Amino acid sequence: MNNGMVLLKALLLSTSQRNIYRHTKDKKKRRRIVGNAIGVAWLYAVIVAFSIAMCVGYGKFGLIRAAPTLCALMISALAFVFTLFRTNGYLFNFREYDMLMSLPFESRTVAACRFLYMYVRNLPWYLSVSLATLVGYGIYARPPVAAYPVWLALSLFLPILPMLAAAFLGFLIARISAGFRRTGLVQTVLTMALVILCFSLRFILEDVFRNNRVQAVLRTVSALTGNAAKGYLPAGWFADAVARLSVPAMLLLVGASALAFAAVFRIVGRSYRRINSAMKSHAAAGRYRVAAQKRRSVVAAIAFKEFRRLTGSTAYMVNGAMGVILALLVGAVALVVGPDRIIRAITHGAPIDSVMLRPAIPYIVYFFTGMVATTACSPSLEGRNYWILQSLPIEKKTVYQGKMLFNLALTVPFTALSILCLCVASKAPLLDSALYLALGAALCAFSTAWGCVCGIRHMRLDWENEIEVIKQSAAVAVYMLPNMFAVMGLAVLAVFLGTKMGPRLPTLAMIAVATGAAALCYRRVMILSRRRA
Amino acid sequence: MSDHAMLEIRHYSKSYGAGKKAVDDVSLSVERGDIYGFIGHNGAGKSTTIRAVVGVLDFTEGEITIDGHSVRDEPMACKRVTAYIPDNPDLYENLTGIQYLNFVADVFGIGAAEREARIRKYADLFEITNDLGDLIGAYSHGMKQKLAIISALIHRPKLLVLDEPFVGLDPKATYALKEIMRDMCRQGTAVFFSTHVLDVAEKLCNKVAIIKRGRIVASGPMEALTEGHSLEQAFLEADGDE
Repeated sequence: MNNGMVLLKALLLSTSQRNIYRHTKDKKKRRRIVGNAIGVAWLYAVIVAFSIAMCVGYGKFGLIRAAPTLCALMISALAFVFTLFRTNGYLFNFREYDMLMSLPFESRTVAACRFLYMYVRNLPWYLSVSLATLVGYGIYARPPVAAYPVWLALSLFLPILPMLAAAFLGFLIARISAGFRRTGLVQTVLTMALVILCFSLRFILEDVFRNNRVQAVLRTVSALTGNAAKGYLPAGWFADAVARLSVPAMLLLVGASALAFAAVFRIVGRSYRRINSAMKSHAAAGRYRVAAQKRRSVVAAIAFKEFRRLTGSTAYMVNGAMGVILALLVGAVALVVGPDRIIRAITHGAPIDSVMLRPAIPYIVYFFTGMVATTACSPSLEGRNYWILQSLPIEKKTVYQGKMLFNLALTVPFTALSILCLCVASKAPLLDSALYLALGAALCAFSTAWGCVCGIRHMRLDWENEIEVIKQSAAVAVYMLPNMFAVMGLAVLAVFLGTKMGPRLPTLAMIAVATGAAALCYRRVMILSRRRA
Repeated sequence: MSDHAMLEIRHYSKSYGAGKKAVDDVSLSVERGDIYGFIGHNGAGKSTTIRAVVGVLDFTEGEITIDGHSVRDEPMACKRVTAYIPDNPDLYENLTGIQYLNFVADVFGIGAAEREARIRKYADLFEITNDLGDLIGAYSHGMKQKLAIISALIHRPKLLVLDEPFVGLDPKATYALKEIMRDMCRQGTAVFFSTHVLDVAEKLCNKVAIIKRGRIVASGPMEALTEGHSLEQAFLEADGDE
């Protein structure tokens, strides 16, 4: 076995839940592994059900021919987004860097193995989409038998190119940031800019496709996916390989993936050590003079610690603060271009105007600001430093109050500013605006306390990489999924009730509900903090 | 025997961004059979130098060679003959001790019988044989340190680099490690380690370098440096002289 394979095997084994289950003596840990496995299996089932339902819908409407392209696009988009958020933490700046680099591995071997590790770990998600779509495709398109193994084999290659693209972008950001004294700050700013650009590109692309649709002769979903396949060649190669059993298309997908892999890691390997050295080292001016110090209350001190924790980590900052920045951007864009234009762009010209949508303003803003509550991941983020809080003379409830205070300090100002922008842009009456602001604050309070409940209940301190806590933890999933679905439903309900009885009564009622829910969650936090003291 | 030193550092400097130099023009030479102590205050530049030696930290100024190979240009040749034990080993917490040792043995291509003998020998010596089946995450700091030491010894390195190796070790393990270092030196291995425990350095090392604010302020054979006094006195003098 070559060294690359030895390393990859060790990486996979080191995070294998089965390995932990087999060797741990901690019964609680074992129970948690079983619980996580059930949760993951449930998520797989949801993805499979969604993909099959999509194919059934396509089959019913006679659009099944577009299924391979759509499958390729879905897997590619998932692979790109998953990798983009994880490059820093998985590829660069990981904990065991010193240990690995002191062993006889080439820099590019370490980088490539970290990438392959990410690929193998995420492959089951991509394959669940692929297999489920294949089932629907098999039922409705009745392809030749050879199409099945081709589909399955090429599904293994589909995520590679988008993953490489995301990893390479992450590498470029890291490479540029490494040239600055404040590496972390530059990396955070560049990553955020890239994520915002990706969000914007989604709308730009949608707009392109919509324009094409207006002009094109074919006004079908097939035409849209066809356009997408032309824009993103690997999706077209996959569709050709599956539908026409085209050998050149198969070779193109496999060959391009292999070539891109070799090229990317040749380039990454050259500056890998330099980038990691810059990221793991901190500039030391050594010129500090002790001056007057500021005294804070215990709760404020913990909140400040949380602030430093957020701003000190690119991964945490990008995930934790992205929502509030997007909320502010939405508000600013509404002010500049006008809310009606945005509504037209999002609703594809449906007969909805800004006056009708006004009651939904707090929910639209909360959709972004409540996307991630820092309180959902910050208890787990204490990780190996948990002993510091444990050994200090602070009650657990004070710790959680500090964490909640920080989340409020982060979300309330951005929420308020964004709501104000949208209210001004949509010319909302003063009283309505005040009510929307109050509702926004109540929703932030709920999000903070609910996040804290999830964070305490699903606290996990033995993580290897903070991304596991920030993006993949049970606490974040339990917090986010119901929260996001509920807010979308509430937005629709608010618009509906607004047209029937005006916006004020439903908003007042919702302020009461959100405040009550926040109070209940806060109480729960206090109970949990006593139980786990 | 080849004529070059086992570890040669020439005019090595390292600065972070536009900040001050963490290490400034460090030069030293570790011969085969040397136990070379690297002494200095916290933040003096010991770990920055050691991390560059073992190929973890990138550097642009100066040259570091191991067994005649440049760390910058031939990192693989250097790493194959070097073992590094960091001050706070970050090991794979979800591997068992034995899985981790096998991983390192695989990387260095150690045969099954040979690795078994070495693991048995050193694990017994450090009294962690019974714990090798447990996850590293369940280990104490000292046990992790012992495991890192065993993984460093498993491939019989020509150069052993240790960063504060005695921190967290119990007295018996400290004694065992010192004996191993002496034994390895007798067989021609070079040992380069940082410490601020001056008593240990004085009894163990035949050469020593004192680093202060990134610069070597004194270096050479122990006898020449102490001139009949204690290393502590020599260190305090060098510390005050600059």
